[in-house]
Amino acid sequence: MSIVTVQLGQCGNQIGFEVFDALLSDSHSSQGLCSKRENEAYQASCKERFFSEEENGVPIARAVLVDMEPKVINQTLSKAAQSGQWKYGQHACFCQKQGSGNNWAYGYSVHGPRHEESIMNLIRKEVEKCDSFSGFFIIMSMAGGTGSGIGAFVTQNLQDQYSNSLKMNQIIWPYGTGEVIVQNYNSILTLSHLYRSSDALLIHENDAIHKICAKLMNIKQISFSDINQVLAHQLGSVFQPTYSAESSFHYRRNPLGDLMEHLVPHPEFKMLSVRNIPHMSENSLAYSTFTWAGLLKHLRQMLISNAKMEEGIDWHVRPPLSGLPPLGKMSLNKDLHFNTSIANLVILRGKDVQSADVEGFKDPALYTSWLKPVNAFNVWKTRRAFSKYEKSAVLVSNSQFLVKPLDMIVGKAWNMFASKAYIHQYTKFGIEEEDFLDSFTSLEQVVASYCNL
Amino acid sequence: MGRRRQRVDLAAGARARALPEAIAALSRSLPSGPSPEIFRRAKFDRPEATSALWQLLYSVLSPLPAGNALASLALEVQARLVKSALCSQGYPRLALAQLPEDGSQLLLALPLCVCFAPQGSPMKGYPAARLKAQRLPQGLTLALLQCEALASPGPPAPHMEAEGPVDVRHVQWLMGKLRFRWRQLVSSQQEQCALLSKIHLYTRGCHSDQSLGHLSVTEAEMLRDPEGGQQVSGAGASQNLDLAYPKCLHSSCTPGMGPRTFWNDLWLVCERPGLLPGDWAAPLDPGGASAYSLLSPLRALLQTLEHENQRLEAVLAWRRTELVFWRWMDTILGTCSLEVPAAASQPTFLPWVPERGGGELELEELQEAVERRRAAWEAKAGGCGRGPEWSAARRASREAVERELGALQRCWEQDSGPAQPHGPHRLVRREDGAAGDQDLRAAEVIRRLRSQEACLEAVLCRLQGQCQQELARLVGALPGFIWIPPPGR
Repeated sequence: MSIVTVQLGQCGNQIGFEVFDALLSDSHSSQGLCSKRENEAYQASCKERFFSEEENGVPIARAVLVDMEPKVINQTLSKAAQSGQWKYGQHACFCQKQGSGNNWAYGYSVHGPRHEESIMNLIRKEVEKCDSFSGFFIIMSMAGGTGSGIGAFVTQNLQDQYSNSLKMNQIIWPYGTGEVIVQNYNSILTLSHLYRSSDALLIHENDAIHKICAKLMNIKQISFSDINQVLAHQLGSVFQPTYSAESSFHYRRNPLGDLMEHLVPHPEFKMLSVRNIPHMSENSLAYSTFTWAGLLKHLRQMLISNAKMEEGIDWHVRPPLSGLPPLGKMSLNKDLHFNTSIANLVILRGKDVQSADVEGFKDPALYTSWLKPVNAFNVWKTRRAFSKYEKSAVLVSNSQFLVKPLDMIVGKAWNMFASKAYIHQYTKFGIEEEDFLDSFTSLEQVVASYCNL
Repeated sequence: MGRRRQRVDLAAGARARALPEAIAALSRSLPSGPSPEIFRRAKFDRPEATSALWQLLYSVLSPLPAGNALASLALEVQARLVKSALCSQGYPRLALAQLPEDGSQLLLALPLCVCFAPQGSPMKGYPAARLKAQRLPQGLTLALLQCEALASPGPPAPHMEAEGPVDVRHVQWLMGKLRFRWRQLVSSQQEQCALLSKIHLYTRGCHSDQSLGHLSVTEAEMLRDPEGGQQVSGAGASQNLDLAYPKCLHSSCTPGMGPRTFWNDLWLVCERPGLLPGDWAAPLDPGGASAYSLLSPLRALLQTLEHENQRLEAVLAWRRTELVFWRWMDTILGTCSLEVPAAASQPTFLPWVPERGGGELELEELQEAVERRRAAWEAKAGGCGRGPEWSAARRASREAVERELGALQRCWEQDSGPAQPHGPHRLVRREDGAAGDQDLRAAEVIRRLRSQEACLEAVLCRLQGQCQQELARLVGALPGFIWIPPPGR
C-alpha cells in the first residue's frame, strides 16, 4: 500500500529528499546479500510504497512539496533530477515568494488558510494516483514558522478530509541551544496541535543526531546534509520492507498501519523515537564484524538507559526487579534514569536474521504494568541487508525517551510566556493567550501520562 | 387477632408513602423487573396478578438472559417448575400446591424463591431469624436455614473480578488497536474496489460474450498466469476480490462508503457479528485475541457493569425501605395464617443437606435406593425399545418430520419468487446504469436471503422451544425432580 509524503518548509523538504534518495539507493544497492528474486520483491515493495512509475521508467516520488520560499524547493527538485534514479512529480510542489519569519502563528493562521485549497488539491491528486492508499507521512520541523505552522494546519485538514487514512508526522526537535528565539513557543504550539490531529509523532532530536555524526561517523564539519542523511538512514531502516510474519517470505503490505497498531493505539501516548545500531563511517565499517547477540544487547541497553546512540551507554541501569517492594529500588533507578516503555518495535535486517534472539526485549519489567510484553513488543525481520550494513537493527519505541526534552521545552516556553515575551507577535495573527494556555495544559498532561507509567 | 390487624393497619397507614417506594425498589432490583402493581394485586388475590406472579417466581428461580427460548415457556410449565422447586425445598403451603390461582399465597413464596435464586438478590442473606419472627411455618424456616448453609461461601463472584482490576489505559489501548484495525479494513476494502474496477475497465471488449463486455477477475488472472491460476492462493484471492465488490457496495456495513462513524459500525458489528469479513479473524497480536473476540468481552463487560449498577442502586433503595415491606408481608401472612395447621399434615420433601460424620449410614441407604430405582428404570426403558409400540412411534415421528420438511421446502419455494437463490453469477460493469432483465441486484438478493434466514431461524427457535417444552413436561411429570436448564441457554 502506498504512502503519500508531504514535505513542509525548508527542513521538511531537505529531509524528504534524503529519505527518498536513501530508500531508492538502498533498494537498488547490490549489497543486499540476498537472492535476485528476493531483491526484486524487496524493490517492488519499496517502489509501490513510495514511488509511482512514469512512462520512461524513472520512478516518481509520491510526494507533495510545500514551502513559502522557492529557494529550497528548487534546490530539492534539481538535486532529485540530477540523481537520475528518481525525481519528483512535475506539478507536485507549491511555493510562494515570502516566508513565515519563524512565526508559527503566521504559518498557521495566515499562510495555511490562504493557500489551503491549492495545497489540499495537490495532495488529493497525489492520493488519487495511488491504487491502494495507506496514509500520509508528513515531514516538518517544529521550531520554525512554515513547516511547523503550515504543517499543523495541513495535518488538521488531512484529519478532517481523510479521517480513515493514517497520519504520521516526522518532527525535527530543535537544538537545545536554539537557532530561533521563539522556538519553544513554536514547538509547544506544533506539538499540542499535532497531538490532536495526528496518529503518531515520530520525533528526531537534532542534538542526538549531531552527536551521532560527530562520535560515530567521525565527521569534523557537520552540515545539515550530514544530519539529514543520518536521519534518512534511520527512517529508511524503519520503512524499508520487512517480512509480514515470522515464517513468511512475503513482504508486509501496510507497514505504516501495522506500526501504528503496534505502537500508538493509545491516544495519550503518541510520541515515538528511533534508535539504530550499528552506525559508523565507511572506513571503520571495513574492519568491523557484528553478531546479532551483541547488537541486540547494545540496543536493549540503549532502550533501558535512554541512550541516544551506541557510544556512551550507561551499563549500570537495570530494569527494576519485579516482585521486590520498589521503595528503595525506585529512588535508585530514578537516579539511574531507567526508561519505562509502553511498546517497542524492533526491526532486524541482514544475514542469519532467523537466528537473532529478542527475548531480552520481552522482559515484563521493561514495560508499563498495564501491558504485557506479548502486547507491547513486536519484531519485524528481513534477510535482506539494509544500506551497507551486513546486519542492522532499529528500535522504534513508545517510551519515556522524550519526557525530559518535552518537559524542558514546556518549562522554557512557560518562563517566556510568564513574562509575556514576544506574545504580541502571535496575538497579532490570531493566536491568543488562551491558545497558549490550552497548549501548555495538553502538553503537561502528556508529560504527566508518560511519567506515570 | 383483631387488635393485631388494627395495629398493623395503623402502621401501614403511617407509612403509606414508604411502602410503594419499598416495593418499587424491590421490583427494580429483581432480575425480571416486575411491575410494582403486581404486589398490590397479589395481596388482594386478584386473578390478573396470578400469571405475572408465577412468571416472577419462575424468573427469580431461574434467571435467564432475555430473548432466550426458555423464557417463553408456557405458564403452566413455569408454574409446575416453581411448585416442584418449592415443594422440594420444603415449602409446606398446601394452598400453593393445589390452587395456583391464589395471589397472596404466591407472594408469600417470593422470599423463599429469592433465597434459592442462583444470582445475588436483594433479599439474599435475609436472616432466617427474621422470617422466624414473622411466624413463618417451621418447614420454611428450616429450608431457609439449609439454603443459607449451602450458600455460605456467598454468591459466586462475577468472572471479571477473577482477573483482577482492569487498568482503563489497557482498555483504551485495545480500543485504539481496534480503531486502527478498522481503518486498515477500510483502506483494504477501498483497494479491492479500485482494483476490481480497473480490471473491468481494462479488459473491456475482451470477452467473447458481447453482452458482458469485460473479463472477470478470475478470467484475467488465468490469462495473465495460466499456471498460477491453479494455485490455491491465486484462485482464492481473485474469488475474494469478486465477492468483495458487491459486499462493499451493498452490504449494510459499508466501510468508508457513507457518513457512518467508527462507533456506528462498531455497534453494528457488535450487534450482528455475521457482517464481519474474514480479515478480522486474524489475531491482533501474536498469541493474542482477534479483533472480534476482543469486541465481545468489551461489550459484555460494559453491559454487565451497566446492569449491575442499576441493580445495585435498586438494592440500596430497597435496603433503606425493606422494613416497611416486611411489615406489609406480615399483614398478608396474617390474613392467610388460618391455613397453617393444615400444612403440618402435608408431607414435604426436605432437601438433603450433606453432613460430615453421622450422615454416612443415611447416604448408603440413599445410594442403594437410587441403584434400585435406576435398575427398575432401565428395565422399563429397555422393554420399550424392543416392543412394537416403540417402532410404531418411531415410524410416526419420522413421517411427521418428513411432512414438516416438505412444508418447509414448499414455503421456501413460494417465498423465493423471481430472483431465486442462484448459482454463480458474474459481476458486470455498466456505464449507463440501466439494468437488464436477467440482472441480479445484489441488494435485493441480500435482502431476500436475510429474510429467508430470519424465517428459518424462527422455525428453528420454535422447534427448539417445542423440544424443550416436551423435555420439561417429561421431567416435570416426575414428582420431586427439578429440571435444571443447561447453563447459558
